[in-house]
Amino acid sequence: MLPEAWKSPTRYNSHHPQQALILAMSSYSAFSRLMLACALALLTRVALAEDGPIGYVKTHAGAAFVVSAGKSMEAVPGLALRQGDVLRTGDDGRLGLILLDNTVMSLGPNAEMVIDEYLFEPGNEQLGLGVRLLRGTMQFISGVIAKLRPEAVKVKTATGTIGVRGTRFLVDAGN
Amino acid sequence: MVLARTLRLVAIALPVVLTACAPKSWVVLLPDEDGRTGRIIVSGEEGQTEVAEAGVAASLDTPKPETFKVTPYRIEQTFGGALAAQPKPPAVFTLYFESGGARLTAESEALLPAVLAESAARDGADISIVGHTDTTGDPADNKALGMLRATLVRDALVAAGLRLDRISTESHGEGNLLVKTPDDTQEPYNRRVEVVVR
Repeated sequence: MLPEAWKSPTRYNSHHPQQALILAMSSYSAFSRLMLACALALLTRVALAEDGPIGYVKTHAGAAFVVSAGKSMEAVPGLALRQGDVLRTGDDGRLGLILLDNTVMSLGPNAEMVIDEYLFEPGNEQLGLGVRLLRGTMQFISGVIAKLRPEAVKVKTATGTIGVRGTRFLVDAGN
Repeated sequence: MVLARTLRLVAIALPVVLTACAPKSWVVLLPDEDGRTGRIIVSGEEGQTEVAEAGVAASLDTPKPETFKVTPYRIEQTFGGALAAQPKPPAVFTLYFESGGARLTAESEALLPAVLAESAARDGADISIVGHTDTTGDPADNKALGMLRATLVRDALVAAGLRLDRISTESHGEGNLLVKTPDDTQEPYNRRVEVVVR
């Protein structure tokens, strides 16, 4: 039932990870391979921070779309979201999503929302969430970003701004 | 007689009050899932107001936000769709490790099927895996060890059939202790991987 990777005691038996490094450094070619791997990992990380998903669609009904980099896609569960995405629902539409910091948002019918800003790197103290509800209704349940830095979370409408202090609320932006 | 007249007056006055209190754009505070209520600070062009009570709303289309109470009926009428679309809240699992290496405790190993079941029960599930260590040893080594622990859990989940592209893995090393301890302290509760299924 359990996969082998889970059952095996460990692939890494040492109390001291530096032993692994010393092993790797014992031959020059192994060392350069390691450096290359590190550089690649770093590059991937930077790329992820810029282009990686910031969350995923979780629920949908009726007409619900995500416009990402000018391309419109049906908002099916599992669809990855990115900073700058526009979310739209039609007359009979609704849509729910969860961002990587566990912020939960859902839209009612005839709604349009833009995710203007999303920064979630607690290790580097990079935190920020800015969304704009252009029309329709939404529910917002705050996540880790609001817990760590409440003033970095803003929900805007055409005429007003909601500052979040760790909480759940509903917004009607009218039509 | 007097009562009837009062009621009539209220009946006439009520629609006026409701109209005055019916902005086109507004926000209403709800209690959190755990029953507590947070706060919001609502700003217009000329002023701001704080709302800290569930069921209290504030206008978003007046220069200075005005607060008013709303009934559960009106909340349901206005926000039924948005509320119905709310996804299941994220589920958190904490898996603990034996000292030093990346070997799960027996109890935590037994939790794997629950993580898989939670993921299977959700449409479009994604998973965050964060590895942590206690303060034994060097912080840089612990960062690597936390990653090793997170990777072990990820590999197990992928081997059981979960999609690799919806799993994110990272390490906080000894930087995010569950139990605060001095440096170089063995602490079983800090040797953990946190798995969030969304």
